[in-house]
Amino acid sequence: MTDIILFYFLATMTVLTGVGVVMSENPLFSALYLVLSMTGVAGLFFLLQAPFVGAVQILVYAGAVMVLFVLVIMLIDINKSGEKYIGGNAAALFKGLAIGIFSGLVSAVVLRSPIVAKPALSNGSYTVLEIAKVLFTKYVLAFELLGIILLVIPIGVVALSRIKGGTHER
Amino acid sequence: MSVDVLTAGHYLILSAILFCLGLTGVLLRRNIIVMLMSIELMLNAVNLAFVTFSYFNQNIDGQIMVLFVMAVAAAEAAVGLAIAVSLYKKFKDLNISLFEHLRG
Repeated sequence: MTDIILFYFLATMTVLTGVGVVMSENPLFSALYLVLSMTGVAGLFFLLQAPFVGAVQILVYAGAVMVLFVLVIMLIDINKSGEKYIGGNAAALFKGLAIGIFSGLVSAVVLRSPIVAKPALSNGSYTVLEIAKVLFTKYVLAFELLGIILLVIPIGVVALSRIKGGTHER
Repeated sequence: MSVDVLTAGHYLILSAILFCLGLTGVLLRRNIIVMLMSIELMLNAVNLAFVTFSYFNQNIDGQIMVLFVMAVAAAEAAVGLAIAVSLYKKFKDLNISLFEHLRG
């Protein structure tokens, strides 16, 4: 019974703060709402017996990525940016229609799949040792490729931020 | 889906709601930083679906995938924010429609 109450609490918090991210006029409020949303998802990970992933979620998302967002918001003048939402009623109508069709498709697929009625099991969570064993044997190639990406990305970011003016000027 | 016991459907529908929320943000907002945050919201929804399948199928691979998605999402946020900063340096604004002036 406790986990149902906890689930509905975390789900409500995550969805409401998600609406806050999308609807806030001020990007800084969006960022702060996003921290709460990430924390709610981390709580759901703990509820799903994945404590390691939940801890990494808080460390990486609510910690590192959000600091990056807030620092960039600090660099810019947020009060100067003009239109907040896309212009034109026709474009908004078509985009709303596309979102509606997509969400209907997703919910139809979810509700018709046989996994929906599967009840929760009462087994223990995976330990960090078990996760590491799979990560460094079965997925070791993907892990190495991830290392290459994380090497290339900082170089690209430094190169991008050194560009002055247009794309072809130095 | 019943009300008194938690099933996979609960988590999957929450994940779908979060994903569509992020999609709405990407399509309807004009500020690049808010669009990047909405993309993070969508990636979070996908992570939630991965962990849900990992738990209900008793398969550890879903949790490994979540770790990969998190690393790629952090890298993507870094590049996106660098582009946003360089756009702000040129135009003193972060509107998405300014991207059409970037050619050449």
